[in-house]
Amino acid sequence: MPTPQCPAFAMPTLPDHLQVWRAGELGGSSLQTVGTGYAALDHVLPGGGWPQGALTEVLQPQAGLHEWGLVLPALAAALAASPLQMTVLVNTPFLPFGPALGARQFTMQRLLCVTSGQGNAPSLLWATREALQCADVCAVLAWLPDARSAHLRRLQIAAHAHNKLLFVFRPLRAQNESSPAPLRLLLQGALGDAGNLLVDVFKRRGPPLAAPVLLDTCPARLAALLAASRERRRRRDEAEPVSLPISAPTVIDLSDLLRRPLHALDRIASLDPH
Amino acid sequence: MRWIALQALTPTESAPASMSEAAAQHAMACIALGFTPRVALLDEAVLMEVSGSLRLFGGLVRLHQLLAQRLQCFFESNQAMRQVIRAHGATSLIALARLRLLRQHSDAAKTRVAELPMHTLTAVRPHLGVLERTGCRSWGDLLRLPRDGLARRFGAPLLEALDRARGALPDSYVWLTLPEQFDEKQELDALVIQAPALMAGVAPLLVQLQAWLLGRQSGLSAFKLIWHLDKRRDVLPTGELVVRTAQPAQDLRHVARLVAEHLGQVHLPAPVHSITLQSLETEPLVDAAAATGSLLMQAHQQGDSAAQLIERLSARLGQAQVCVWQPQADHRPEQMQRWVPAHGQRQGVVKGRQQVTIKSIAGSPRIPCRSGLNGLQNSANEALYPTWLLPEPLRLAAVAGRPVYQGPLVRLAGPQRLEATGWLMRHDPVSGSHPTAILPAIRDYFIYRSQQAGLLWIYSERLAVTPESAGQRAWYLHGFFA
Repeated sequence: MPTPQCPAFAMPTLPDHLQVWRAGELGGSSLQTVGTGYAALDHVLPGGGWPQGALTEVLQPQAGLHEWGLVLPALAAALAASPLQMTVLVNTPFLPFGPALGARQFTMQRLLCVTSGQGNAPSLLWATREALQCADVCAVLAWLPDARSAHLRRLQIAAHAHNKLLFVFRPLRAQNESSPAPLRLLLQGALGDAGNLLVDVFKRRGPPLAAPVLLDTCPARLAALLAASRERRRRRDEAEPVSLPISAPTVIDLSDLLRRPLHALDRIASLDPH
Repeated sequence: MRWIALQALTPTESAPASMSEAAAQHAMACIALGFTPRVALLDEAVLMEVSGSLRLFGGLVRLHQLLAQRLQCFFESNQAMRQVIRAHGATSLIALARLRLLRQHSDAAKTRVAELPMHTLTAVRPHLGVLERTGCRSWGDLLRLPRDGLARRFGAPLLEALDRARGALPDSYVWLTLPEQFDEKQELDALVIQAPALMAGVAPLLVQLQAWLLGRQSGLSAFKLIWHLDKRRDVLPTGELVVRTAQPAQDLRHVARLVAEHLGQVHLPAPVHSITLQSLETEPLVDAAAATGSLLMQAHQQGDSAAQLIERLSARLGQAQVCVWQPQADHRPEQMQRWVPAHGQRQGVVKGRQQVTIKSIAGSPRIPCRSGLNGLQNSANEALYPTWLLPEPLRLAAVAGRPVYQGPLVRLAGPQRLEATGWLMRHDPVSGSHPTAILPAIRDYFIYRSQQAGLLWIYSERLAVTPESAGQRAWYLHGFFA
């Protein structure tokens, strides 16, 4: 741990101990963490990954948007590392789709899904805490839109006592409430080639994050498909004789159009009435 | 012959006794039965003859340690403050006399037989005053008196007891045996109207049941709780609750929580005056042979097991609310998987340990994706599926032939055609629906992008297109790429 360079104050040098955290630095070198699978995100999280034995609070505008992309690499690695343990999902917004998750190296056979019929919040909190106390559970993901700070505190204590990965997903309105979670994230979707998810770490042990981290959580094959269809549409748009404004004097270079062979897929796509 | 005498003392300062003296004595006798079949209750103590078990448990010292550890665990797990004292001797009466002496001063365990005081022999007690006055203070003094005079003056029982204490007569007792089925009734202190309050009566029964299980070296897998209702009401005289556990349990804390969860959902039609606990199924525990020195409750791992978690969650939330995944061979996305209740369906999550051992024996590597003939190609196609699936496809509104969901959408990819028709359609065994109720699925799947909701998986029904509505197709939202 480097000592801060500050010429004005002759700071009494603190012992370079693992338990000492200077507020100006990213803390948690003594934390036990699980790598997120994204280098950019690991870089801004204390300890270089999701904290084990602590509550990670994730806020997003709608439930069911970006959860899997964010946590799936870490979960798959955690499940692979401990072959006897399972993951518990509490109050999922939709049904997890097994074939897609299995294709991303997630062991669906070791997944337990807990829902609550009438959507009563106390039962969900109870189930989450029970799951944290179970020895055969390595991670718990809970969607708790109605949880309050006192409830989260109990979950944080349970996660800490039993050293489990715990993610709680909450709506955006919880951003200004106080929370006992040592790590709080804000997710926003992004449109662009570089990535589809903006992660703002607005609470962590360390200085505030300068700018949100952009992640590409799309699986490779889906990204390739989207890129291919984007490319195809671009080509089709180029190939189509666009209805040009009459005023603009334009020379249409027919030779270029004729030289390029029309692709079979282009024809099918253009036949389909949108 | 080796005899051990046991007694549980209540610390004087502890005001609330959670267990009566008789209950504690009986529980200790049950636990002692885990070490030897020759256990008897005599006066205030439990006597056990262990000469046949010494070799199995590795000597008298080791046996003492195991016994002390197990008794301490039992009393601690039941929040009963008891101090167990032990003494051993060549005959049962010597062991008992040393035990009685041990209560007065702690270094009495090694007292020689001849020096044992007179009052430690039960048969002498009626004549204690006379013997004191004749100068007899210890067993040795008594043994030196002439036998026939002793018999005439104090009666034959005293002489017989003395002979048994010396070992001249065989020590024989009516050995304690445990019934095949546990069936105990407990009167409640007061009439109970609310079902959760029954736990106060269940708790002592569970303590007895645990002692019974320890004595029989078996685990509980099913039991029945019966509550007897007030007969003055016009209702059935009893109500009952059958609870099953996934794994045979000997440590009943999990069972107690399970009963509490079940009782939380019971409505009592009338006040309850007593309850009965019956064991329905027990299984002998192999590792409870205890000869190996494995301490049952010490080996209890930190936290619950997966089976216990599933049982408790299912008991409170309902079995349909706690689900595990099951793959299905089908082409329709909604039929590719099923979420089945985890309770009683313990493959995968719960039986993980056994599966792993089998696999490690077979030496095959663990494949994370589901196995198929063409697994590689499958997983490549499955990577294009969304990670969230809607339980029911959501019908979307369409504006000018384009679907709308939280604003306008942009089509990114598609169509991907799905045709599941004809004899390929399998009947759904779960819902048991009629074959006529299954509509063929002919769909075109598209990937759309929404400004707010990310990537959407949307399909349009191709069969629903009728001549009059040819221009407007039906659009459904089926999943999210999260």
